[in-house]
Amino acid sequence: MKMVQWIRMFALALLVLALLPAKAAEPGAQELLAQVRQRVQDAPVVRGAFEQLKTVKGFKQSLRSSGDFIVARGKGIVWHVLKPFESTLVVRPDSLQSRGSDGKLTTQMRAQDEPVLRTVNAMLFAVMSANLAELAQHFEVTGQVAPKGWSLRLVPRDPTLAQWLSAVDLQGNQFVQEVKLQEARGDASVIRILAPVAENALRPQDAAQFE
Amino acid sequence: MTSATPAYDAAPGWLWRTAALAWLLAVLAVGLHQWQFWKHDGIDTDVMALLPVNEQAPGVALATEQLVGQMSRQVVVLIGASEWADARAAVQVLRQSLASGAGARLREDAMTQKTSMDAALGFYQPWRERLLTPQQRAMLAGTPDAALVQKALQDLYQPAVQARLSDWVGDPLGLWTQWWAARGAQSQARPRDGELWAAADGLQWAVLQYTLEGSAFRLSGEPVLDGALQNALAQVHAKWPGARMVTAGVPLHAEAAAVQAHWEINTIGWGSLAGVLLLAWLAFRSLRPVALVGVSLLVGCAVALSATALLFGQVHLLTLVFGASLVGVAEDYGIHYFASRQGAPGRSPHGLMRGLMPALWLALGTSAIAYLALGAAAFPGLRQMAVFSVVGLTAAMLTVVCWFPWLDRGTMPHSRVADRIGQTLTAWPRWRQALPGSLAACAAMALALWLLGGLRAQDDVRQLQNGSATLVAQQRQVGEILGLPSPAQFYLVQGDTPEQVLQREEELKDKLDALVARQLLAGYSAVSDWVPSARRQDSDAQLVARAHGVVYQGVNAALGESFARADAPAPAPLTVQAWLAQPIATAARPLWLGEREGRYRSLVMLRGVADLQSLPALAGAAQGLEGVAWVDKPAEISALLQRYRISMTELLLLGHVLVLVALWLRFGRKAWRAWMPTVLASLVVVAALTAFGAPWQLFNVLALMLLLGVGIDYGIFLQEHEDDPHAWLAVVIGAGSTWLSFGLLGLSATPALKAFGLTLMLGLPLVLVLAPLFRSPTVSKEH
Repeated sequence: MKMVQWIRMFALALLVLALLPAKAAEPGAQELLAQVRQRVQDAPVVRGAFEQLKTVKGFKQSLRSSGDFIVARGKGIVWHVLKPFESTLVVRPDSLQSRGSDGKLTTQMRAQDEPVLRTVNAMLFAVMSANLAELAQHFEVTGQVAPKGWSLRLVPRDPTLAQWLSAVDLQGNQFVQEVKLQEARGDASVIRILAPVAENALRPQDAAQFE
Repeated sequence: MTSATPAYDAAPGWLWRTAALAWLLAVLAVGLHQWQFWKHDGIDTDVMALLPVNEQAPGVALATEQLVGQMSRQVVVLIGASEWADARAAVQVLRQSLASGAGARLREDAMTQKTSMDAALGFYQPWRERLLTPQQRAMLAGTPDAALVQKALQDLYQPAVQARLSDWVGDPLGLWTQWWAARGAQSQARPRDGELWAAADGLQWAVLQYTLEGSAFRLSGEPVLDGALQNALAQVHAKWPGARMVTAGVPLHAEAAAVQAHWEINTIGWGSLAGVLLLAWLAFRSLRPVALVGVSLLVGCAVALSATALLFGQVHLLTLVFGASLVGVAEDYGIHYFASRQGAPGRSPHGLMRGLMPALWLALGTSAIAYLALGAAAFPGLRQMAVFSVVGLTAAMLTVVCWFPWLDRGTMPHSRVADRIGQTLTAWPRWRQALPGSLAACAAMALALWLLGGLRAQDDVRQLQNGSATLVAQQRQVGEILGLPSPAQFYLVQGDTPEQVLQREEELKDKLDALVARQLLAGYSAVSDWVPSARRQDSDAQLVARAHGVVYQGVNAALGESFARADAPAPAPLTVQAWLAQPIATAARPLWLGEREGRYRSLVMLRGVADLQSLPALAGAAQGLEGVAWVDKPAEISALLQRYRISMTELLLLGHVLVLVALWLRFGRKAWRAWMPTVLASLVVVAALTAFGAPWQLFNVLALMLLLGVGIDYGIFLQEHEDDPHAWLAVVIGAGSTWLSFGLLGLSATPALKAFGLTLMLGLPLVLVLAPLFRSPTVSKEH
């Protein structure tokens, strides 16, 4: 029961992981991740646009959405969905918030209420500081690196987590290009990252979103 | 024996023989009982036993008892390391270490694993649309339809996986998932990699839960559990030097108390016995008095133990600790006998005993009155101590009276130490203006007290907390890390049916939610969190059905889908009965106290109560709610302590008056001379303790009661045998050993016993020094 709510955050953390350099604890995976890491650009701020295609059981059509995002090392992530409905998801070290187009809070979680949030965020920061030892505790990492790009497959080790998430597939080169989340219930989403840019600092107008 | 034997020195008659034989039979019976008692281990180490019986509603007492009973065998062990992987590996080492040896008495409670989570989800499945958290209820009732639809759509299009316990269609607003998350939020611990995990204080903690198996603790004095835990920790430290362990559980406190008590019984008991025997040897220079006084003490303690065991079923450890100080009081009678023997070597033992008896019985009587006054308090522990002491004193006295004259044959050698001590009485000054002088001293003492700002009364039971500070600190830390509810305060909810209990819980929880919002507490645990009342299940089901209808309609309109509610008949309500049988109920099951005499009862417990200032608001929440009672155990006991402090002070004053009356009957107008030394000493003790900033507690009052009982004896002996150096010798040796016993009791880690010890340690020497000053001046001139 306790794992339920944070899968959502976990998946977000995975996305962050996907956007950032990686390193794992196991020898084979370590080498793989080291190679991936060499490719991926390490920057304080990464921003870009995204496109998501979600397949949800019971829906006749796939759900397509798009928007832009900012990942700031040490500060958090902002997902700004623009189409078809505007909403913003902000993940910070100690909280998770979702706002509607009118700016009204629709979901809020705080680490003091849900301790797992802190772990997810700690993991997030482990990711940010290129320390994937913690993440490798949770996943079996396999994959390959080719001149054109790399791909990784993450499979949960923990049976509780595996109840929710079957696998995560990442593809990329200098940046992550595609993330596939396969849920155990059969729902799936594919997120494509478009035109990512590395920057040295947050733009002044964006900084407020992380406050 | 000479021919000039006085009438009362006639040969011992049949009465003496019968008495000696009867007492022998009684002692033999006690010996038999003792043999069985130690074989079956009737020692009670329950840490709660000293607490007073609840004087309020019997239902509250019963609930507390049940709550304590459920918790009394649980032990929680937390292992923390900076990395989760280390904590996880360390916990395996700990588990393995505890599985063998002394730790084997701890049985690990299987954590609710994945399988039982599946079972729990399956169990709740039929009622999933009938369960809402307070926030969800407020949200569904207060959110416009359009906003509900927007939220559903927003969730659908936001990146990341929606963790779901069912298909989207079954739960478009994720209510079922949130409800489970709220259940999980009642504890800070989470399953992780097959262990229970918590994060706090910058460390990753692995949680182990144990239940103690087998009988309660034996008075071995060995820290068996602590030893096993420390041994396991040492093994962990060998690999992970930075790892930390914190533990909690009543058995650990009980064990620490048993170890402490064992040490104290030995120190106080053997220490005072050695002291008494040494003093007897110095005074009498003969093994016979030493051996006989030893016999009287042994018989006294054995009879006291048997009588207490027969009367109370079990003997509490603290009774033994306190009882160990009895050695220092019960020796008085034997010492007196031998001191008199030394003074009248020509008289027959029986004749001498006849002459001594009035003073001995009067001394026993006043001591017994003082000890029995302790038993008037509603504290079971004190009652035991009182019975133990009175029976022990009487048995020691009977041994002296019935046996000593028979066993004590031969002459008494003279000891120079004894003579010198006896002679000090002649040199001791007399207070010529004793009456006005002492009255003036009393007035001065009262004035001093008034100038000091009066007594600093202290009735807070938390200040009296017994037990190792580290254990208490660890207990608190475990509570904080895991977010456990505190057993100190809770609500008792009662009703005629389970449904009524649940409804009343919900009315209470509605009030508590407001207090949570004001941050007076972090949360609460109640059975109705897991099983709402049927009434609430019905109303929540209506809210959910309506919201789902709205969301389907909105999503259909926006995305061209065709979702619709399945028309299923409402299931029969979820009941407490069905829930109790499920493994998922394990954690909250202790809250349901079940049915007794047609009343159903449950507890609502609180987590993270901000501070003591929030207690009035919490007490207020129960007001006006039928069948809901607020129970604040510490406050209740503190109030009781205060009440008893006041009534015992009144009883102390009454005791002084009664003793004065008894003395007047015997000594007439000279009665005050035996009484005033104790009065003055008591006042000096009160003033001194206040001047040194010591708190004034019930137990100080009780100690003054004892001072009255013991101190008056000195006055009595000096009045009975005025200017008799042998009576004075007995008083000095008696006071010395009594002082030693209570001084050693002052070493006790139990605050109540310490207060006893300190008060008497100050008061007794004062009485001893003052008593000879109050001899009447006229008699001395005749001498």
